[in-house]
This record gives sequence, structure tokens and C-alpha cells, in this order.
Amino acid sequence: MNPAAALDLRIDAIAEQRRRTWATRAAIYAAIAAAVAWSVYAIVVADTDWSRLAFGTISRTLGRFLYFDAALLPDLVDPAIDTVLMATLATLLGLFLALPVAWLGAANITPLGKASFVFGRGLMTLSRSVHEIVWGLIFVSAVGLGALAGVLAMAARSIGFISKIIAEAIEDVQPGPMEAIQAVGGNKLQVLLYGIVPQVLPVILGTVIFEWDINIRRSTIMGLVGAGGLGLVLFRQMAMLNYGGIATVILAVLVLIALGEVVSHYARKAIL
Amino acid sequence: MRRASNNPGSDTVVLHAPSAPRTVPLALSVRNLHAGYAGREILKGVSFDVGADDFFAIIGPSGAGKSTLIRCVNRLVEPTQGEVLLDGRNLLALGQQHLREARRHIGMIFQEFNLIERLSVLDNVLTGRLGYTGTVRSVLRVFPREDIGNALRLLDRVGLSEHVHKRADRLSGGQRQRVGIARALIQNPRLLLVDEPTSSLDPKIAREVMGLIREIARELNVPVLCNIHDVKLATEFCTRIIGLQDGVKKFEGRPAELDERAMHSIYAMEVL
Repeated sequence: MNPAAALDLRIDAIAEQRRRTWATRAAIYAAIAAAVAWSVYAIVVADTDWSRLAFGTISRTLGRFLYFDAALLPDLVDPAIDTVLMATLATLLGLFLALPVAWLGAANITPLGKASFVFGRGLMTLSRSVHEIVWGLIFVSAVGLGALAGVLAMAARSIGFISKIIAEAIEDVQPGPMEAIQAVGGNKLQVLLYGIVPQVLPVILGTVIFEWDINIRRSTIMGLVGAGGLGLVLFRQMAMLNYGGIATVILAVLVLIALGEVVSHYARKAIL
Repeated sequence: MRRASNNPGSDTVVLHAPSAPRTVPLALSVRNLHAGYAGREILKGVSFDVGADDFFAIIGPSGAGKSTLIRCVNRLVEPTQGEVLLDGRNLLALGQQHLREARRHIGMIFQEFNLIERLSVLDNVLTGRLGYTGTVRSVLRVFPREDIGNALRLLDRVGLSEHVHKRADRLSGGQRQRVGIARALIQNPRLLLVDEPTSSLDPKIAREVMGLIREIARELNVPVLCNIHDVKLATEFCTRIIGLQDGVKKFEGRPAELDERAMHSIYAMEVL
């Protein structure tokens, strides 16, 4: 066979293979589209009271929220401050508890082999698989109503996220610096302090700032389970069917979250 | 754009290098090139001419500006002053659209290979055609039959026939650099920019890669501008050498003219 014909055959083989790749991909997309269509039908189409969805009703209901209850503003200051303090405390507590969990759950430095690794990863999963509202209910029944329950609930929820990210960063560190500290005769703690911590510090700080940002969001709803802050005010306004008040609290939450966004942006820039 | 070699009459000039004058058809002409950032000047007025059949080396100590110089030619680094004439056209005067068109004709080979790790060897080579490929084809990753044929031929030429469908991150350093060479060549370049092609390779593989670049450049009649810190490789493979120190050209000549005094002026007080 001459070279040109041989090349043609190879191109044909590649073209054929690419066609097959495309066919597979198209099949996968089609399957996803079918799953979406089925979900939309089962959950939304079949399960919605369409008679309620007349345009007039929707706009009338939503219109009720378009009021601003300025009288409520003075009562929002203290809860707003509570909300930020709760988020901050919860994040710091979460970080403090997440560090040992990350140490257990990082495959390359876990102290007791597979057992401690599985234990660490188990704690992470437990922390993340329980919703913060559920953590809130648990801690409200444990320590009573108030901000303490909210702080504990959010900290419990933060442990999983922070420790998982840190553990994964630890597993991805460059082995070079660890080797160098071992080679000069460093012990395990020294390897950890000099070979690993400086490498993962940016990740830790970035994650904590991000989690703080998330916890501000979370702490605005912790009030729903009686754990203080803006959420409690929101819950009361809902109970009183004061739509304007609800809108005002939501606006306050928005402002708070925007402020948190700004602070975390600059904190990130300053630290990393 | 015309190729210099097609118009030897108009593009031929006599160069007044410190050594004997030479008469060559010009491919690339760099005039009084300045570059720098944040107030620090990295290139301080460098001029040289690359002939159409040159394998042109830039040597010099680390931090002399070798990589910056190479990157100024295709404007991955924007020069602050000067001219870069490729086949008589000043690349520094081009707008974005024309710059992209000009870049299609300039192949580049990188120190760290810069392959797309998760793509196959074949797809990596085909990325060399992206300058000619429309948006729809790029998104769908569908390349013309002719491009696939050329990619296969080039992969045969660089000795990678067996690895066409492997993922790029499965290859050894030398093999990866061969993929990089094939990617540059599928552009049908009028100039090859080569940035420290061998620093990530062991000495034996480094010589093979340099040999391959030289052979293919001769076969395809492409001039090469190559920065390389290994003086021995430069004198062995290149036809012409300039020495940079601290952004200033300290030497220009044939490899045979690179004597101890020239070396001393390039590397100044550094111990060789």
C-alpha cells in the first residue's frame, strides 16, 4: 500500500472514532435532557396548583412585599450586629475544630493510618450532611433558645466544609519542602509546621473568609429556629403577616451580605 | 505577506556585525527593542537580524532578558519601544486582529512544553491550527480532514506515531517537547520561536530535541530564533549567536567567534 493511501486509512479510522465519541456524547446529552424533562413534569407540572397561578394573583401577592416599613429600622440594629458577631464566632470556632479534623482526614499525614483517616472523613461528612437548620434545632434543644445555639449550629456545619478543603490542600502539597525538613532531621511536628502549613496557609485563609461570608448568610436565618439575630425578627414579621416588615428585614439582610462581600474582598486581597 | 527567500533582491542586506559582513535574505529584523514593566527596564535597545536560513541563538545569564526578548517578537510581552520586522512588516504596529493573523505564522516552542495536559497528543497538535479554525469548529472540536492528516504526518516525523491517542500528560518530557514541536510546525510557520527548549530535559534528550528542531527547520526552510542558556548546545547547533547581559547585546557572531573574551563580556563576573 502506498503511504498516501495508508494515511487516508488512518484519518478514516480517526474520523470514525470521533464520530463515535460524538454519538456517545449526544446520547448522554439526550439522556440528561430527558431526565430534566421528566423531573420538570413530575415535580413542577403535576404538582402545581395552576389555577392559583393567574397573573393577577401573583402580582397582587408579590405586590404586598413592595412596602418599606421604616418604623422597623431601629429594631434591626441590634439583631444585625448579633448576626455578624454570630457568624464571626461560629467561623472561628469552626476553624478551630476543623484543623484537627483536617489533620485526621488528610491521607498523607493522618496519624494512625486508615482508621484515623476514615474517622476524620466521617466527621467531615457528618458535619456537612446535616443542614444548619437541623443543627440549630439540635443545639436549641441542647442549650436553649438564643445566639449560643446559633453559633454552635453554624460552627458544627462549618467544620465539614473547612476541614475538607484544608485536608484536600494538604494532600496536594508539593512533597519537596516536606522532604527538605525531613532531610535536615526535623520531627513530625516540624515537618507539619514548616513543610506543610506555609503551603496550605493561603487555602486556609481563603476558605475561612469564604466560610465567614457564607455564615453571615446562614446566621440571618438561624432566627427561624429561635437562635437569635435578624432571622428572629424575620420570623416575627412573618408571623404577624407584616409583608412590608418582611421586605424590610430582607433588605437589611441584603445590605449586611453586601457589606460582608466587600469586607471579604478586601480581606482576601490583604492576606493572600 | 511574502517570504523573504522569494525576494532575495529586495530583502537582501549587508549586515555590519562585529565579524565579517554577511549577505543573507532577511526573515526577522529587531530594531532598538525596549521592554520592561513597573519602571524596570528589561531590554535596553536590542537590535539584530535573523537570516532566512539561520538557527539563531540568544545566550546570556539568567535574568538577562532572553525570554522577554523572544516573547516580544510575538508580543506575548508588549515592548515599550522599537521595531520587530517579520518579512518586512512591523509586528509592533499591528492591531489585535492583524496581530493574531501574524501569530498564526509564528510557531513557538516552550520550556515547559505548555501542552494541554488533558487532551490527546493528536488534539494538542491540532490546537496549532486554531488560528485558522472558526468558532463553531473550535467549540465542537471538529478539525478538517486535511489538518488531521498533517498532524499525523508531523507526529510520524517527530517519532510519536505510537502515541497519537495517548493523553499528553502520559508522555515523558522528551516526548512532550516533540508534541510541542509538532504543534508549532502544523502552523506552517515562517518563523520558529524557541524558548529554552531543553532546560526541562536531560542532556541526551536535550541534544536529540535540538537536533530534531534543526533538521526540521532545514527541511521546511524555517528560520529559528532560540534562547538557550546552554552555551555548548548553542555553539553546536546554531548558526549565529547573540549574547545578552542585563538587557544589552554584548556579542554577536558565528559560534566559532565566541571566544573566552566574548564569554567574559556576556557573563561578566559570573563564574563559568
